[in-house]
Amino acid sequence: MTVSNVSRRDFLKTASIATGGLVVSVALPQSALAEKGIMQDSAFNPNAFIHLQENGDTIIYCGRCEMGQGISTALPAAVADEMDADWTRVTVKQADGNEEKYGPQATGGSASIRRMFEPMRQAGAAAKYMLIAAAAKVWKTETENCYAQEHFVFNKVTNQKLSYGQLASIAANMPVPTKPKLKAKSEYKYIGKHLDRHDQGEVVVGKRTYGVDTKLPGLKYAAIVHCPVLGGKLKSVDKTAALAMKGVSAVVEIPRFEVPFGSIGGVAVVADNSWTAQQAVNSLVVDWDLGENAIYDTKTYKQQLVANVEKPATLASERGDIEKAFANASQKVSATYTGGHLSHSPMEPNASVVWVQKDSCEVWASTQSPGDIQKVLGQYLKREPKDITVHVAMAGGAFGRKFKCDYVHEAAVISEKVNAPVQLIWTREEDMRTGYYHSINAQHIEASMDEQGNVTGWLHRAAFPSIASLFNPSLERAPADSLGEVTNHPFGIENFRAESGDAKAHTRIGWYRAVYAIFYGFAFSTFADELAYKAGKDPLSFLKQIYANNNNEKQQENVKRSQAVLELAAAKAGWHNRDELPKGQGIGIAVHYSFRSYVAMAVHVEVDGDNIKVLNVDCAIDCGQILNTDGATAQMEGAVVMGMSLAMSTEVSFKNGAVVNSNFHDYPVMRINDMPNVRVHITDSDESPTGLGEPGVAPFAPALSNAVFAASGKRYRDIPFKPISV
Amino acid sequence: MKQSITINGKQHEIDVDGNMPLLWFLRDHLEYTGTKFGCGKGLCGACTVHIDGVATRSCITPVSTLADKKITTIEGLSENGDHPLQKAWLKNNVPQCGYCQAGQIMNAASFLATNAAPSEDEIDMAMQGNICRCGTYQRIKKAISDAADELSKEA
Repeated sequence: MTVSNVSRRDFLKTASIATGGLVVSVALPQSALAEKGIMQDSAFNPNAFIHLQENGDTIIYCGRCEMGQGISTALPAAVADEMDADWTRVTVKQADGNEEKYGPQATGGSASIRRMFEPMRQAGAAAKYMLIAAAAKVWKTETENCYAQEHFVFNKVTNQKLSYGQLASIAANMPVPTKPKLKAKSEYKYIGKHLDRHDQGEVVVGKRTYGVDTKLPGLKYAAIVHCPVLGGKLKSVDKTAALAMKGVSAVVEIPRFEVPFGSIGGVAVVADNSWTAQQAVNSLVVDWDLGENAIYDTKTYKQQLVANVEKPATLASERGDIEKAFANASQKVSATYTGGHLSHSPMEPNASVVWVQKDSCEVWASTQSPGDIQKVLGQYLKREPKDITVHVAMAGGAFGRKFKCDYVHEAAVISEKVNAPVQLIWTREEDMRTGYYHSINAQHIEASMDEQGNVTGWLHRAAFPSIASLFNPSLERAPADSLGEVTNHPFGIENFRAESGDAKAHTRIGWYRAVYAIFYGFAFSTFADELAYKAGKDPLSFLKQIYANNNNEKQQENVKRSQAVLELAAAKAGWHNRDELPKGQGIGIAVHYSFRSYVAMAVHVEVDGDNIKVLNVDCAIDCGQILNTDGATAQMEGAVVMGMSLAMSTEVSFKNGAVVNSNFHDYPVMRINDMPNVRVHITDSDESPTGLGEPGVAPFAPALSNAVFAASGKRYRDIPFKPISV
Repeated sequence: MKQSITINGKQHEIDVDGNMPLLWFLRDHLEYTGTKFGCGKGLCGACTVHIDGVATRSCITPVSTLADKKITTIEGLSENGDHPLQKAWLKNNVPQCGYCQAGQIMNAASFLATNAAPSEDEIDMAMQGNICRCGTYQRIKKAISDAADELSKEA
């Protein structure tokens, strides 16, 4: 990795920040970009910035997008730590979309900390050593005689000190160290500690602004209706009633954007406030040609998925000899699991402001992917991506939905048409019905065990419309790499086969917090629990044994760390004393490795008939080094809530090709009265840090299913356990 | 003569269609953006404000019904952001994305005004109408209890 001076004049020209500061940029190694999957299109040449003013005030830019996961506290604090900056002197600012300057900004896959921890520390350390060099120059001494602490550089010999502010302009002319020495873990001041979020003060007084809050002079407000069926087209629209409404200025037809994550097209109304725009959209008389996906009905589709996994399907991966294992089995067990589509439904619906002018295009958006907005709008407006300015707003929740910025494309079309800045806010109903849904799915597992209860063979069939269908709608089934989590699951099973069942997509499928780990985690950990009972074993010992049976050298770390979090969650939950629980109560346990982090949950429930009450959740995590213990804890608390919503009640259904659900009455996300007591236990680790936004969601549903079985003998294999009929 | 309403102590003329929900009058007309749009149907609580001290869903409350009423939004809950609930929210690091929190705090403030020493069940009951998708419920409960404790010390 290299660290280089950015020309201060250039920086000041573009960012117009007070003169006399120190600015550091850091180039990330190319290898940091070579990830498979969602980051594949990210450009190279990133930079991260520290701006230290002459009065000592320090701005640290967060290049990754903030949506509540706390990244804009965790990464800047790592910079401040290595810089020996005083955190109380630091203001965090969200960087605009600019991947050349800030590195990859597409925020997803729990990748921010994993990829940016080291570079951010390098940025902080480089600044520190330049400040030390500046002080040494002033004192005409060697740098070895100087050290930095709390926004000052001290002279060990003379006991003199100079503040960072005093040193800023001198430091700006010092050479940038190519490989600044980083702190040892024992020297961390902020990393690994409990840190308050940098923006809480603004939140509690209503001053934190989100994408939906941008106000500009002359702002017009828009609302939109989309074709309810994927692939449908607008036949005709009667705008008369809408245009007759007071305050309505235009009706704009939005074209379909033929790019991944592009708008599917629709009809928008522009008015002088959002409410009028929403009323006017409702008054449009729209006739759609629904197209071939109008056949989509999730009830029959799910039955078909089940049929497709309960018969031989397309091979995805294989090892050992499963037929032989099955033939020699002392016991054979099988089960089928299903799950429904999910809508991200962040509390802030899709919203942005776009202002397309002759010489500029400015975007203010809650987004997880500013670079994609630049690319798509650049293409649409026939301009360079760099000429699309994207101000990344705080997202009022995102969970993967705001990685796909169709709502921004639409606002741009409207702005161009009406020649004004336009705020487009989707109604909750549009948000629910025009999503990128988590896959509906079915999985069928057959396993063989020997007399000692060792699992000797495992056949895993999964059928679900895959995210890959976004890029290739003609896919008949999930490609083998979408079953990678099945193939590479660290259970030690010698004879193994994964198969992909037919599942053509009829709606848009998108990443939803935890992605495929939701259903893979559910099937693996629930089925393992079922096997344990069939084998007459304690589920915890049984799980540990499946891991212990793993002889793959490359997976020994997975095995060790999975077992360790299992043990930790079990111990904290009182697993070994669970026989003493009152009748009707039980504890279930599950573990899942995803996004390179390990999470185990022990769920303690009380079951009375069909009524399930979750009392406690003990959550053990191992994500390597922790950046912010409070942030990590919050992510797990939130993961339990999202896990409980999807395990118990949320499901998006389609009929005649269209989403049936419309709002929170028929998409009943979890509410406060169901909140269990969540206790988070963090493994002390020196391993490289990995992310936590996604990994907490997967283990909850299987741990719950296992707990309910322990408490009542009833086994839930279909999530949500209690779908509401819509 | 036009009707007027008082918002955070300041009088405003209602110079919009009387059917417009208070939420949009606040957000688009007066640019008080602290009050959030979540569902538009009174189902999620993100838009909660006080009308004469009572927590109300502003997304389904037409402005015409509010003549001469006193409205308090999150921006006006306290002068210096130091309402016991705001302090407790900070102490417990409640918000994740924070989008629902104005509604949560406003709902809790109205609730505590009628029940200064609530039980956990009463907090659950009172706060059921406010959804948090990030899942901060455990901290919300704790923060409300902490604020109630502080209020009882003040009393």
